[in-house]
Amino acid sequence: MDEAWRSKMFQEDHVVMRNQKRHGQLARPGRREFLQVGALSGLGLTLGSFFTQRAALADQKQFAHFEGTAKSVIHIWLSGGWAQQETFDPKPHSPLEYRGEMSSIDTVLPGIRFNQHLKRTAKIADKITVIRSMTHGEAAHERGTHNMFTGYRPSPAITYPSLGSVVSHELGPRANLPPYVCVPNLPAPDANAGYLGSAFGPFTLGADPAKKNFTVRDLSLPGGVNASRFQSRQHLREVVGRHFGRIEDSQDLIAMDAFYQRAYDLVSSAEAQAAFDIASEPDKIRDAYGRTEPGQRMLLARRLVEAGVRFVTLDNKGWDMHQRIRQGIDAKLPPFDQAFSALINDLDQRGLLDSTLVMVSSEFGRTPKINRDSGRDHWPKVFSVVMAGGGMKRGLIHGASDAIAAEPFESPVTIEDLAATVYHCLGIVAEKELMAPGARPVEIVDGGKVRRELLI
Amino acid sequence: MVRYDHRGRRLWHLVLVAGLCLAGSGARADTASEAVVALRVFPPAVQLDSARDLQRIVVQGERADGVTLDLSAEATVSVGDATLVHVEAADAAAGRPVPVLHPRADGVTSLTVTCRGLTGEVPVRIASATTKPPLSFRLDVMPVFARGGCNMGSCHGAARGKDGFRLSLFGFDPAGDYQRITREMPGRRIDLSEPLASLLVQKAIGAVPHTGGKRFAAESDLARRLIDWIAAGAEDDPDLANVPELTGLDLYPPQSLLEGEAATQQLVAVARFADGTDRDVTDLVWYSSTNASSAAVSADGQVTSGRRGEAFLMARYDTITEGVPTVVIPTGLTFQFPQANDNTWVDDLVDAKLRSLRITPSAVCDDETFLRRVFLDCVGLLPTTEQRQAFLEDTSPDKRTRVIDELLARKEFVDLWVMKWAEILQIRSQGVFVAPKGALLYHKWLDRRIAANQPIDQMVRDLVVASGGTFENPPTNYFQLERDTLKLTENIAQAFLGMRIQCAQCHNHPFDRWTMDDYYGFASFFSQIRRKRAEDPRETIVYDSGGGAMKHPVSGQNVPPKFLGGEAPQVSVQDRREALADWMVAPDNPFFARRIVNLVWAHFLGRGIVDEPDDFRVSNPPVNGPLLDELAARFVKSGWDFRGLVKEIVRSNTYQRSSEPNASNRLDTTNFSHAAIRRIRAEVLLDTLAQVTDTTNKFPGLPEGARAVQVADGRTTNYFLTTFGRATREDVCSCAISMDPSLSQALHLLNGEVANERIRKGNLVGRWIKEGLTDSQVIDRMILRCYGRKPLERERIELLASVQGQSNRQQQFEDIFWALLNAPEFIFNH
Repeated sequence: MDEAWRSKMFQEDHVVMRNQKRHGQLARPGRREFLQVGALSGLGLTLGSFFTQRAALADQKQFAHFEGTAKSVIHIWLSGGWAQQETFDPKPHSPLEYRGEMSSIDTVLPGIRFNQHLKRTAKIADKITVIRSMTHGEAAHERGTHNMFTGYRPSPAITYPSLGSVVSHELGPRANLPPYVCVPNLPAPDANAGYLGSAFGPFTLGADPAKKNFTVRDLSLPGGVNASRFQSRQHLREVVGRHFGRIEDSQDLIAMDAFYQRAYDLVSSAEAQAAFDIASEPDKIRDAYGRTEPGQRMLLARRLVEAGVRFVTLDNKGWDMHQRIRQGIDAKLPPFDQAFSALINDLDQRGLLDSTLVMVSSEFGRTPKINRDSGRDHWPKVFSVVMAGGGMKRGLIHGASDAIAAEPFESPVTIEDLAATVYHCLGIVAEKELMAPGARPVEIVDGGKVRRELLI
Repeated sequence: MVRYDHRGRRLWHLVLVAGLCLAGSGARADTASEAVVALRVFPPAVQLDSARDLQRIVVQGERADGVTLDLSAEATVSVGDATLVHVEAADAAAGRPVPVLHPRADGVTSLTVTCRGLTGEVPVRIASATTKPPLSFRLDVMPVFARGGCNMGSCHGAARGKDGFRLSLFGFDPAGDYQRITREMPGRRIDLSEPLASLLVQKAIGAVPHTGGKRFAAESDLARRLIDWIAAGAEDDPDLANVPELTGLDLYPPQSLLEGEAATQQLVAVARFADGTDRDVTDLVWYSSTNASSAAVSADGQVTSGRRGEAFLMARYDTITEGVPTVVIPTGLTFQFPQANDNTWVDDLVDAKLRSLRITPSAVCDDETFLRRVFLDCVGLLPTTEQRQAFLEDTSPDKRTRVIDELLARKEFVDLWVMKWAEILQIRSQGVFVAPKGALLYHKWLDRRIAANQPIDQMVRDLVVASGGTFENPPTNYFQLERDTLKLTENIAQAFLGMRIQCAQCHNHPFDRWTMDDYYGFASFFSQIRRKRAEDPRETIVYDSGGGAMKHPVSGQNVPPKFLGGEAPQVSVQDRREALADWMVAPDNPFFARRIVNLVWAHFLGRGIVDEPDDFRVSNPPVNGPLLDELAARFVKSGWDFRGLVKEIVRSNTYQRSSEPNASNRLDTTNFSHAAIRRIRAEVLLDTLAQVTDTTNKFPGLPEGARAVQVADGRTTNYFLTTFGRATREDVCSCAISMDPSLSQALHLLNGEVANERIRKGNLVGRWIKEGLTDSQVIDRMILRCYGRKPLERERIELLASVQGQSNRQQQFEDIFWALLNAPEFIFNH
């Protein structure tokens, strides 16, 4: 074990102690939460600190994690840029060219209206938080996407990690499951691990749970290999690996072995495997979510967080409605409405909503005025983000856009604020610095405020 | 051994220490060894330019074993003419135990330093001894913000400032800073009537609540400067032409070798200016250490040793960062460097550094290990069982050199290096901009050059100046793949000069010497590139228009072309890229050859002499400067002979060392004292999987059986390559190739078709059983095939036992085969 590691461990312990004082009740996450393999666990090092160590040593701002309100996150990503006017922030009193041709409906919250298709969601409006004053300045898809996935504006010099990767880095795996999963695939390059390195990237399913013959790549044993043969294979791998393991003493080896251990755990754990098995979900529930792309993806996400995955990002494409927005919304919103309301109700009934943070977001909103193609174009100045559970208030409409949904009217929320708030719910201090290449310490979020008015 | 840095200054280097310590390596640290054999006084010449000027002196002694001692406090210091200079015995204000010289009258004299029986002397020149020039905003005030940490990115240097006050990051925009300080919140931020009441001062000294806390004491020199400047009217420099430009920063002593914990060494920093003056800026620089656990440096510049190791100590002043290396060794070390008879010049340079660190390198590895390693590194394949057998039976002393020669002559060597270069040149198709045909032609162009061993300078030159159609002159595709001028600028700097200048696009580079002026001056070389359609709609013509300028985003002025760290050439007639290419590949260019040799070194040794191999920067110095310099110098002298360079590296003992560490080098991962085990990169790993299972790969556009390293278009991939972190060639950065492990990799090798299917498809086990091989023979063959060695006795016993009594013998063997492919000995080069 490298001397530098030991010294760093020592330093970290000190930092933790210092911060414990500052935060009062803080404690390091239980050792079981860490990856326990070989020399890594011997020193209580997580894989996260291993990779950090390899980067360099420098003065980093360190903070210990604390007990957050959210144990996991389901991030529902509506790529393309959803229109705030045709979803959660209708403008029934503005002129037609602004409000569009769609109508709105009452929700269970007095005076609050949603789009006409959000019938089921309107009934659970008292369980969710709608942020109507989200804002950033990037009107290009890739830049807006970057902002929303990382909490940072794009930089020419550094690739930032996504929220899911930071969670993976900070909190590690739980219950034999990967900490960060994308359903079905990486929705955008920005959902990846950036400077943290691919070890903290998401585990991607590579298959869509909405499809009939859904199976996750490489997750189950190949044909002809049963549990006992797999065990015998593991033993053989141990036999042929012993010699090399004895003569070689490398951190890279330890890290690779750690992932083999995770893979063994995942492959051998019936519970972990079952989390991916959407077919074992009762038909009634599958139907309640809807046999649609968003429906089955959200249902699988629920299964995953229920089993122990910390951060699930699921993707629902097709919200970039430059033309004929009415037809677009008619097609996209009803299945979303069914799936999302089913997810919230399902989580709530299972007692999981208070510990599961659900976030619905998109790279930006859409222009105040209907364009000549009956669509709306990109608009990052104000748009909506929907949150629920995991420490969020129930039935809160936060902030407002102006009369034509062009600018935030009150309490604007920045991408930094949003990221800092999500991290806070998970018990991660956003001012903590992680190590980027070139021994450059980078704050998890640069300058965002935890928006406590959103929280319980 | 003498080393020259980027600016051609001579550096006293470690190798000197190493040479000396060889003689004294038997001696131990008793009182006798505290005698010093050399005494050095810094700075080597003192210049006092005004009544305000002063110069701190640091005295360093060197013991016979190379260990250095800070003798500044102990030394007796006197000047030849005491009417000219006043010597203060210690820097009392800052509590530094170093002598300080103050001017009294103009003239020339000398400073004599005596200590432990040795004497040193430095010349002292005093001018304008009675003139007290007004405080300059740029020279005297701006450094206060840097030193106080006020303009760091996490404080007021943030893009939007902090708490309503913004300074430019690390002071890249003094004019803007002046505006903000003096024109925002007048009467509060700056109070001309009562300077001490200015918020600028009150906040900094912690007299009023300040998010950043107290930055310096009210009675400090820093506070004094602010107050005096405000009292004098808070004027900007009246005539910018008269503000001398900062040309360099010297940090003394240039080298330290400290013994034991808590040894100390004071640093002294001197800034040099274009008008020939200099200033002692020891109090004004921002110090940092790359490894504070070995050598920590205080805010005042005092170094304190910690545990054994190396550190690079840096000082930043204005736009310049400088650093000096420091080595810390434990006390009471008995160290005997082993004799080596067959060292090459590479080994001599590596060993010199190891000697100074008191590290013994590992022995040279055995033949089997060498053969597997050199095959993987040179041709991306494993040696066959027959090749291994022939090599082991060969008893001639030069057999390793002959194998190297054979490998370097193989087509697979070309394939491997074409792949490496294709990453740097980012060869791939890209939508409507680069048609697949363009990418293929570009790849073919590269292949021909590597195959012919064309001198690397010519190859790169041809690319940098390339004009014409992307089909007719394929390297023009490089300029089609990146059409944004600034990104192109950054790519060229990183690919060919090994420098990441991205930071300087928006602000002065915080950890390097690059300013925004440098950045946009360099970008200016590419500002005239234009593109137009060719006859074939898939082809584009790249040319220089002769017009078009690069604007500086702060000043809005046109920036003429300027070489990085060099001069601004006359390019009125000449094509800008021609001028750039001439400068880049010139034999005395300080970056290009070093970048290339470092790249090659990193491929074979697993780590660059500068690491990452494309991250040359002041704050990331080479671990072995003389080695890097010599490799580069010889490479240039050889006529940029690429194969020759590879051969020099591969035939060295350093490359051939065992990965097994000894007690002294176990913790060393940076100085090449033992081989580093390296995960095999995605493409080579897939090729070796195919090789050992006797199966083939199929890639679009390539015949069945083509190898992954031969893929021409960077967009071609498959699940295995993506999962194991192949280079997508979308990013020039060496960091784009990931060797990090992941869950998906492990799952894919465990459960995916890559091992399971291939073993079945290749059916080697079935064939061997059919041949009638015994259990033991089958096991032998598998391990030889995968690991290039025979099974150990214990392995054989256990594996045989696992086959015993199995109803399905073939299945059990296939499971062993599977295990071999999943174990690290297959996945790592060692």
